[in-house]
Amino acid sequence: MIDRRTLVGALEVSRLADWVIVERRREIGSVDERTRLRRTEARQLWTLTVHHDSPAGRGSAHITVDAVDENAEAVVDQVAALARASIGPTWLSRPLAAPARVRVEDPALAKREPLDAASELVKRLVRPTEVVATATITRDHVYLDTRAGLHAEWTETLYRAELLAIAGARSVVLSRDARHRDGLDLSAALVNASEDLKLLARAGAPVAGKCSIVLASEALLHDGIGVWAAFVSQADAVIERQGLTRYRERAPIMPGADQISEPLTIASDGALDFGVHSVPIGDEGDAVRRFPLVERGVAAGLGLSPREAALRGRDANGGVRNLVVEAGSWSGTIDASMGRVVEVRRLRSLSIDPYTGEASLEIALAVDHSKAGTRPFAGGSLRIDLIAALARAKRTAAVLTRGAYKGPQAVLVERAELIA
Amino acid sequence: MPTDVDPQVRTYLREAVAKLRGAGFASAHVLAVSRHRVTAAIDVLGAGVARGQCDGAVLTVRDREGMVREHVTNDLSRDGIASAVKVLAGNAREASVDFGRAPAAPPIPNPELRRLPDAQLLARVGALAMRDREVSSRVVYSAALLDIDDATVWSVAPGRDVVQRLVRVRRSLTRVAWNGTRPIVSEATRAWRGGIDEQDLSQAEIVAAKDNALLLMTPRAFEDREYAVAFDPAVAASIIDVAVRSLLTSSAARRPEVARRLAIGANIIAPLVTLVDDPTAPGAYGGFQFDDEGQPAAALTLVDRGRIVGRLEDQGRGRGRRPGHVGRVEPAPSHLRVAPGTFEAAALVDDGFVLEGPLGTVVDPASDRVVIAVARAHERVAGKRTGRVFADIELVGELGKLFASINGLSKQTQSIGLRDELDGQPRWRSIETPWLKGRGLLRARRRPT
Repeated sequence: MIDRRTLVGALEVSRLADWVIVERRREIGSVDERTRLRRTEARQLWTLTVHHDSPAGRGSAHITVDAVDENAEAVVDQVAALARASIGPTWLSRPLAAPARVRVEDPALAKREPLDAASELVKRLVRPTEVVATATITRDHVYLDTRAGLHAEWTETLYRAELLAIAGARSVVLSRDARHRDGLDLSAALVNASEDLKLLARAGAPVAGKCSIVLASEALLHDGIGVWAAFVSQADAVIERQGLTRYRERAPIMPGADQISEPLTIASDGALDFGVHSVPIGDEGDAVRRFPLVERGVAAGLGLSPREAALRGRDANGGVRNLVVEAGSWSGTIDASMGRVVEVRRLRSLSIDPYTGEASLEIALAVDHSKAGTRPFAGGSLRIDLIAALARAKRTAAVLTRGAYKGPQAVLVERAELIA
Repeated sequence: MPTDVDPQVRTYLREAVAKLRGAGFASAHVLAVSRHRVTAAIDVLGAGVARGQCDGAVLTVRDREGMVREHVTNDLSRDGIASAVKVLAGNAREASVDFGRAPAAPPIPNPELRRLPDAQLLARVGALAMRDREVSSRVVYSAALLDIDDATVWSVAPGRDVVQRLVRVRRSLTRVAWNGTRPIVSEATRAWRGGIDEQDLSQAEIVAAKDNALLLMTPRAFEDREYAVAFDPAVAASIIDVAVRSLLTSSAARRPEVARRLAIGANIIAPLVTLVDDPTAPGAYGGFQFDDEGQPAAALTLVDRGRIVGRLEDQGRGRGRRPGHVGRVEPAPSHLRVAPGTFEAAALVDDGFVLEGPLGTVVDPASDRVVIAVARAHERVAGKRTGRVFADIELVGELGKLFASINGLSKQTQSIGLRDELDGQPRWRSIETPWLKGRGLLRARRRPT
């Protein structure tokens, strides 16, 4: 049998240069209306990160153990062998910083079983249309120990809801993640879906041509953080070190990005209360911090793991986590008097080139606003240079908090082209 | 070396089922897995072997009203399973249950993977890496990999006590070279179920991996329009896999658009196409002897000469599969097989493009819209390659129209094994397909700047 005490004991005699153990005691409760299933899980998981120093450099290894019937010495031998086999440039672990003070546990779950909470969530759904729901609630009790003696423990909760909304011959799929129940905001999501289903029922074909586009919240945050993911890969320290990013720190993210009236500011905030990627301390023992990615149109920071931080002589920050985008002053009102505006409400798919930020957006539902009136349509594609488009975009003053995102509800991008 | 699971585990599982029956549930099933993963790799930086273990037991009961209740644990000890039973059945007493005959122990592969030392694994990977002797200074990264998922799965229910050992092996070789400002990644992979040395990459596949990485792409702009196209088996497999998982399952059929468009009996695919999901195919990477609900494996025809005749269903209908054998059950394919045609693969397209190197396929189940991204499009004119190769091309359109346009299948087929993960748990499947020929709108994925 494996436990934290025997693992620590085995690591202490292993003569490794540094190590971090994270134990997760995981409880999951889920309810699936499709299969009429109520499911619970109780698992214990360990992740080990170890570093081995030799005259040739430092080797690191990271493994996860998802079994109780293991032998601690054997696990440590394995991970140490792996670290010895992956020697790279030398770097030294920096002193550990204090864990972030952040709330990641829903207080409402403190005295409830995840399964009961998931059942209630599904039962109390306000359903403006037919809905097939799946709700999963995870509660992790996390214990972290490091070779330097730092010990931290906390409880984190995660709600996940997947909904299929159906009206007549049309359907849409919704997915929401949140640290606490109210963060899911499922009622608003279903009302929005119900409206979109009505629009889909009378949607026509797309008409190609030049237009301005409004990315409404569902399209803006497609599959999580949506179009903002373009900035996450640009802040990857490894890609930046290899010279593969589009812009470098302290340079404008595009020519003139720092000269426009409301320059773009984006921060990564892993210490945002109830952010789905918030955590006090990372799996490598790195304290999680808020740091800027883009400040007034200028690239300002990178997500730094302990290794990348040490190689740069800086402090680790826990990597890019929740994105906080500064709101703008646009009211969100669509004015088609000056030309055609396409309001993109839902996407079928979004693919972003991690190196350049060029993106292909496949439209599931949009509304064409022109002087002649409004017309919903389904289909069509947009090809956008997302870095440039979002740097120039007008952002709403109204702020939306959803999953790993806090920022404007919608953005307006001028000078785009719709491909039918 | 991995820790072996307690040999008495089947006894504990039987006790669990007996207690669940004793609690009065209409049906009870326990699925347990002990899974070891070994990955041996050699790349330009060094060599290493990673080993991981994942255990799990899923206890499933159905009550008289048809509600299903499941509990999952990763503790396969007697106490661990007993605690899991308690969650569902409290302190119920064991009922008398007939489990039928005890199954024979699954055959032990030779060599026994769990006893194979790191050095022997690395020797095999080293031998694979050494088979490509023509070194090019343009190749900036190369790697050889041997990836083994070795799972022993027990399924115990009243009247049924079965066990299977599924050893899934992948060998692959990766080459990366720069083309302009972009890295071009090319990979040759062979995946199967069985012994570690049963199959290997052919010399032609190894050479092709390097040649594809080194291909110089045509710099001129690609003209977006409809063309005759041929999909190589890797691209065809990517399309078939995504299409089946998002359209031909019982969960996909919950969407009214899918149910209407792909009703049983619908003729929306070219009559040349017959598609079968066959978990019993020998050596198939995605195959199994029983599914994760304990149902015995049997072939299922999904498309018969262009007509939809079946869909993949869970809940006791033979295709209930769990990610990593412990995740939530979902209807999913095992080994999809497209019947071969009569054409020679090399002569499928006279004028058009041969699409190679799948980068991803997206199907929107609601609208049937498909986007198939590929790494390379080779131009052919008058039955011959022109030498022009365009990078990063995508085919866009309606999946139904694309399948209806299929007017040729090659005699030759290839089997492609796929492994992805859902919530950290692996899903395995394979697709055996010929080259496919059809028509579609091709366009460049990146606009010239």
